[in-house]
Amino acid sequence: MKFLPIKIICFILLMTVLGSCQRELQNGMELSGKTFNLKIDFKAVVDITPLQFNTPYKNFFQEPYTVSAFKFYIYNINLINTDSNIVYHVSKSDYFLIDASNSASTEISIKTMSYKYNYISFAIGVDSARNVSGAQTGALDPTQGMFWTWNSGYIMAKLEGNSPLSNQPNSKFEYHIGGFKGAENVVENVLLAFPTRQGVEFLPGTSGTITLNANVNAWFSNPNDIRIAVNPVCMTPGDLAKKIAENYSKMFTIAGIVNN
Amino acid sequence: MKKTVIILLIGAAIMASVFMNGCKHVNEVAGQPTPLSFTVPAGFPEPQYKFESNPLTKEGFELGRKLFYDGLLSKDGNFACASCHQQFAAFSTFDHDLSHGFNNQFTTRNAPALFNLVWLKELHWDGGINNIEVQPLAPLTAPNEMAEDVNNVVNKLKQDSKYKEMFRAAFGNDEINSQKMLKAITQFMGSMVSANSRYDKMKRGEVSFNNAEQLGYNQFQQKCASCHKEPLFTDLSYRNNGMALNPYLKDYGRMRVTNKKEDSLKFKVPSLRNILLSFPYMHDGRFYSLDNVLTHYSTGIQASSTLDPLLKNKISLSTEEKYYIKTFLATLTDSTLINDKRFAQPE
Repeated sequence: MKFLPIKIICFILLMTVLGSCQRELQNGMELSGKTFNLKIDFKAVVDITPLQFNTPYKNFFQEPYTVSAFKFYIYNINLINTDSNIVYHVSKSDYFLIDASNSASTEISIKTMSYKYNYISFAIGVDSARNVSGAQTGALDPTQGMFWTWNSGYIMAKLEGNSPLSNQPNSKFEYHIGGFKGAENVVENVLLAFPTRQGVEFLPGTSGTITLNANVNAWFSNPNDIRIAVNPVCMTPGDLAKKIAENYSKMFTIAGIVNN
Repeated sequence: MKKTVIILLIGAAIMASVFMNGCKHVNEVAGQPTPLSFTVPAGFPEPQYKFESNPLTKEGFELGRKLFYDGLLSKDGNFACASCHQQFAAFSTFDHDLSHGFNNQFTTRNAPALFNLVWLKELHWDGGINNIEVQPLAPLTAPNEMAEDVNNVVNKLKQDSKYKEMFRAAFGNDEINSQKMLKAITQFMGSMVSANSRYDKMKRGEVSFNNAEQLGYNQFQQKCASCHKEPLFTDLSYRNNGMALNPYLKDYGRMRVTNKKEDSLKFKVPSLRNILLSFPYMHDGRFYSLDNVLTHYSTGIQASSTLDPLLKNKISLSTEEKYYIKTFLATLTDSTLINDKRFAQPE
């Protein structure tokens, strides 16, 4: 919380009040400038190497494993300037399903206001209200395979693969992380500082890309020890899901910002 | 600083009121569907599901009806929703403890009767489904029920010219997706209202109960109504009613959904409307007759840590009282619902 002075918190609250109408709001704010086309490029990695499916890796506990699926939801993206206390609320209601097996899904394009920013924040998961709102479309369409049909709710992030240390059929390990009710809520908020403290100027009418690494190995450790040998499966909301979500909330780092 | 915050908040409030009005969704035009109205029967509470983001229309209802009766929604084409939810059995499976699904498999629970669904907060015996719209996804994808994949269903619908036409009529454009399919089925299922039984007619003053019915009603109010609350005949709660764990199904009910020990062996209190048609009874259909059920409550209750406090001392029921209660329960059969042509298989 050190990074967020009270004014910023108030501002975030204020944006929340305005809720569903973010797009209309854009031009009404003091950011009366022009549009900047921002791409956020999610790169799945294992520590520092790009993730490849069905390729052997080792986690913090030196447990060997391969990955066959890696997906997660992103929403509530904000760009922040902590010097002028500006939060640009991109959109709370747009959901993006980042699927490492589908390159079309890993780069998302959003329109923002040109300005100088030094932080980006977003949430991993699906807001609790959307978990109880019935049939959805787009990224939240149940055809995406990220919806539990027997205990309604979204799988907010998914990691599947194999490991000789798993005692499951075909040595599978599967982490389907979900849960939105009260203490079971696994929505995680991520706040990332830009590489330079003073921030990056996004100039009007131009475009740029923020590349974010998403490290699979973060799922297994820090702060919670998740050993495949002990926990090869997580398929329900609850304590284990919370622990894994807490781990993967730390999986992102900014690999680079390219500003044209 | 504080002043700035206050000014910001006031500003926010003003802007919010302006913008909220400015962002109403524009309805898709083209081929206007015919609106239908949903009437809440006198004495019924406010529904949980009010068709707010799924306006009830004739075309949407008819599409839902076709989907409900279409085996195309299942993997091998044999299992429509209606195969386990038969109108003459108040949309339960007649005379089956468990129902049949794909590849000669049994379901693991008794198929519930379908009516008054828009008053339910949650669906399923364990309350695992939090919105009626997503309910059909459960049987559709269960490997022992319809055994299908939602993508496959949507693709099959897209290839069917009749469906194309009906989706366009109901929703105003050609796109077929899972949301529209689910909303249409919801329009159909949500419209199934049971509120015209002899009991309802008595409540409205159209008929009078005979002596046996009235005595049964009195007994019912004393001994059953705290859980089977009128007019829905359920209080929508989850309770352990003292049935031993089935050693084959090992179904712990609501605990599966909440992960809480205190929910072990709890199941949703079912409505007693149309109860004569929806036998066998309980979540696994273990009781074939109302006599079995009443005997369970009077002498068969098994003690356990989560047993409902109201059943700790069982329910004292004489043979005579059981007879009267059964006579009253017979007044809950709604022949209007089971004969309503709107809910029958489309031609």
